[in-house]
Amino acid sequence: MSSSPTERPAEAALVEVAMPQMGISVAEGTIVEWRKRPGDWVEADEPICDVSTDKVDVEIPAPTAGRLARILVEPGETVAVGAVLAVLDGAARPGQAHPQESPPPVAAEPPAPELDRSGFYSPVVRRIAAEHGVELERVEGHGVGGRVRKADLLAFIEHPEPEPTPEREPALEPAPERAAAASPAAEPAELLGPSHREPMSPMRRQIARHMVASRRGAAHCTTVVEVDFSRVVARRRELREAMARRGVNLTYLAFVAAETVAALARHPVLNASVEGEEIVYHEDVNLGIAVALEDGLIVPVIRQAQRLSLEGLAAAIGDLATRAREKRLHPDEVRGGTFTITNPGQFGAVLATPIINQPQVAILDLEAVVKRPVVVEREGEDSIAIRPLSYLCMSWDHRALDGAEAARFLGGIKHGLEQAD
Amino acid sequence: MAELTYLEAISDALRTEMRRDDSVFCLGEDIGAFGGAFKVTAGLAEEFGADRVLDAPLAENAIIGAATGAAIEGMRPVCEMQFADFVACGFDQLVNVAAKLHYRQGVAVPMVVRLPSGGGFSGGPFHSQNPEAWFLQAPGLKVLAPATAADAKGLLASAIRDPNPVCFLEHKGLYRHVRGEVPEGEYTVPIGKARVAREGAELTVVAYGSAVHLALAAAEQLGEEIEVLDLRSLCPLDREAILASARKTGKVLIAHEATRACGAGAEVAALIGEEAFEDLDAPIRRLTAPDVPIPFSPPLEQAVLPQLEQMKEACRELLAY
Amino acid sequence: MRLSDASAVGDATVALDRGLLTRGDRVQLLRLMEMMRAAEERGLALYKQGKVPGSFYDGRGEEAISVGAAFALGPRDRLCILHRDLGAHFVRGVTPDRYLANYMGRAGGVTGGKDGNMHFGDRALGCVGMVSMLPDMAPVANGIALAFKMRGEPRVALTFFGEGSTANGQWHEAMNFAGIHRLPVVFVLENNRFAYSTPNQLEFAVDPVERASGYGFPGVGVDGNDVEAVFTATAAAAERAREGGGPTLIGCETMRMHGHGAHDDMSYVPAALREEWERRDPIDGYAARLVAELGFEESEVSDVRAEVRSYVAECAERALASPPPEPEVAGEGVFAERWQPLGDGAAPWSRWAETGADGARRAA
Ligand SMILES: Cc1ncc(C[n+]2csc(CCOP(=O)(O)OP(=O)(O)O)c2C)c(N)n1
Ligand SMILES: [Mg+2]
Repeated sequence: MSSSPTERPAEAALVEVAMPQMGISVAEGTIVEWRKRPGDWVEADEPICDVSTDKVDVEIPAPTAGRLARILVEPGETVAVGAVLAVLDGAARPGQAHPQESPPPVAAEPPAPELDRSGFYSPVVRRIAAEHGVELERVEGHGVGGRVRKADLLAFIEHPEPEPTPEREPALEPAPERAAAASPAAEPAELLGPSHREPMSPMRRQIARHMVASRRGAAHCTTVVEVDFSRVVARRRELREAMARRGVNLTYLAFVAAETVAALARHPVLNASVEGEEIVYHEDVNLGIAVALEDGLIVPVIRQAQRLSLEGLAAAIGDLATRAREKRLHPDEVRGGTFTITNPGQFGAVLATPIINQPQVAILDLEAVVKRPVVVEREGEDSIAIRPLSYLCMSWDHRALDGAEAARFLGGIKHGLEQAD
Repeated sequence: MAELTYLEAISDALRTEMRRDDSVFCLGEDIGAFGGAFKVTAGLAEEFGADRVLDAPLAENAIIGAATGAAIEGMRPVCEMQFADFVACGFDQLVNVAAKLHYRQGVAVPMVVRLPSGGGFSGGPFHSQNPEAWFLQAPGLKVLAPATAADAKGLLASAIRDPNPVCFLEHKGLYRHVRGEVPEGEYTVPIGKARVAREGAELTVVAYGSAVHLALAAAEQLGEEIEVLDLRSLCPLDREAILASARKTGKVLIAHEATRACGAGAEVAALIGEEAFEDLDAPIRRLTAPDVPIPFSPPLEQAVLPQLEQMKEACRELLAY
Repeated sequence: MRLSDASAVGDATVALDRGLLTRGDRVQLLRLMEMMRAAEERGLALYKQGKVPGSFYDGRGEEAISVGAAFALGPRDRLCILHRDLGAHFVRGVTPDRYLANYMGRAGGVTGGKDGNMHFGDRALGCVGMVSMLPDMAPVANGIALAFKMRGEPRVALTFFGEGSTANGQWHEAMNFAGIHRLPVVFVLENNRFAYSTPNQLEFAVDPVERASGYGFPGVGVDGNDVEAVFTATAAAAERAREGGGPTLIGCETMRMHGHGAHDDMSYVPAALREEWERRDPIDGYAARLVAELGFEESEVSDVRAEVRSYVAECAERALASPPPEPEVAGEGVFAERWQPLGDGAAPWSRWAETGADGARRAA
């Protein structure tokens, strides 16, 4: 790796060029290139090579004037800080070279006379001696000043044979995980044609378990009302721009949420949960909004929704939905809901029978708002008009309430939406 | 497994956690495109964008305060102090705001303050300090000081995931001098668990950070039954591991590069004195820097920082006791 | 409204008129200011009766600022509330009993006895309680705003500080940081003429409101004793922040009408100054304007004030009945087991919530 010197200068005149410390933590550097060849004359401080470290690239100035005697590290090689890169012959300037000094040998101090510590017993020695009834005077000490060390004492005491360690019981086989729901017998593969198998994602598994449990546990019933969204459409048009300026996206869902919250105040049994044989009524409306994700569904919760206006709800829905899609919700934001609204209508669906999000007692489903011909009555005359309509479908738990209450609740929402002002 | 330097392991932890969790972001002076004074964050801005590797102005209270606020709101900020020494300028936000919020109001502050610490490079009195003991007196802060590349990665990941403010001391001398096998991908090391770096029956050296490497070198060179316990976490302290080792060997040397009075070692000594007195076969000894600032000139600095020869001598004395 | 030169950042205020407030909102503003005054009077009485350990601070004369500013915010916005700003806690939904219990170090106080006087904030209502060091909450509010900005959420952080704290280096750090990153943060400066005994002329050579432009965002001066002016300026600032326009410093001119704390007789305040501001009392002034200009009946206004006073009296009883904390509590909660989001606070402004007449329609 090193070029051979052209001549052999006096050792005392040799000056080493070392890998510098370029920054506090730098450990090593790599030679990029040599600007001088062996035998070249070099002025003091003249750059002789380029070095790259992981912090900076530097050129290395010659520590003295002289002739480049030897290159010890070739380009591309990486060496530690302080390593000698090259040797300069400073003989042209006699008297300037610094001979390597080795530190003078430290004169060995005469050993101090040792204190007699044969009568001193450390805490552990005292304790073990007491436990075994050993008279410490009889133990020979090998520590400083003849001190009895723990090791000395232990050697003195005869070790009892170590008791055989009791055989371990064989570990129980982990119980096989019970399937979330009994699956029907698989179809014969040859009739199915080609297929492939993928494990459910954790979210899918969770939804599967949760939904099956809800179906099994609650007495599901679904009630549907048809709502004329004309007023909502108009009102939204009026308010939309101003809210957008404030960063709030006003959707139909926000109107439905606002009317739902108001209706829940009039029908507390729908803002409740069934626990055993009791119904727990919740004071706050913590409104869950189901948000479809690419690979599943999540229901973030607007806490104390009864305190929010239309704009407040719209802002909250927008914020939660965005963050749900970006997977930026916090665990607490998807818990503690008291009523859920789902909105598959945004994808064009017109009717559904949703499954209740346990332990709530109902789930409201907003379907697509679609223009449909309807019979309207004006001044006693029937005529056909085109109106934006939608179905509100609500699944509810017959254990907690009956059909009349469900219908009144939905009727109230319908009324509110149709009168929106 | 990959062989990484301590510094690369820290970068790897940042990158892995930033990929894993969008709320993780870095904040500090010159850490963006420049990659930080030590290049720990090099490449992160390219991968994650300047918004998540945020260059901050020269204002440590603004940095730690902003991290505190962002953490309250659910982000996972990792602040870099350019040198640990500068944390003094952001100390108020750390000890008065971040450390106490959970106790006072139940508000969790999941943030990390990375502290490039330690001397040995003529950094002088303002670029060489080991300030860990400052934080041990501020309840509410966790304090970590890894010694190996694997622990640097695993503990930083744990610190980022921890719901409390964590002071993460990374010794500059280990950055590029220490390398080792580091698990690839997501990897965590539990906070509050010490590591037996070397087993032995005659003497325990309790150490952390750079002193772990001194202790291991001393033990190897002496060839004696020396156990080296790497604390890794100074708060919470692994009391069980310290007491178990002290009880086993009966002789304890505590070593750290930080200054002596009321240092982490004093706490360890007091713990052993209180809980394992009757298991001691020798006085507890400490090898630390004396209570002086870290001087600049190499011979002065070496006179202050614990050296291998001193470590060997202290071990020999205790073994012979 | 006075505007400092901030041409670099364009038009500073969004024109907002007073039409933003409904009749119900105005009742709330009056009620909340009166609630703050009544609660602090009760607190001071309890202090003098030896029921409040430590010290006692109030914000007499500054009620319009905390009420007006907090009233403009939405439920998901976040606040760091300072020591003259009890009204902001009430806007968010803290009740006077919890405030008084906190002062008395009772279990029912907002911090359960862990911290005293005004050093509290209810995390469940979207508030982060202040620390003593001033103005340490300004960098923290920045961080909250930074989180909103990074996540693209249309939310705002707001914090208060006194004019005295603008002398501290952290104020500069915070303003500079907020300006660089155009954070959605609103700074509400309460210039109440004094920092403890130190008057304005010994606090700064350049008014902090004017300094805002030096950080690249507008400083807006308002009459801090006009609750609607403070509200309007804050609503505009919050709207600007939500739209990505960055921070605003709202400078509220007011006067601290009590001593720095109950232990301070404020002998250093000239009598004339005190009398002048006595005449500009924010609550009496607003009550008079409701009647003279805004179509309220005299009796309506006095009923609201009387009702809230008796409510505060009831709250004081509840606070006194709250037990002292169990000593074990002292050792709990140093470390968090997990992070939990702050809750959302009340936002009574009719744009966000149903109040007064609007609320009544829904309730019907
Ligand atoms: C950093 C700091 N130094 C000193 C104090 C002690 N102190 C408490 S309040 C106060 C005066 C604050 O004045 P100002 O900011 O104008 O608020 P005001 O009390 O007038 O509302 C002082 C000096 C403190 N809280 N923080
Ligand atoms: Mg003041």
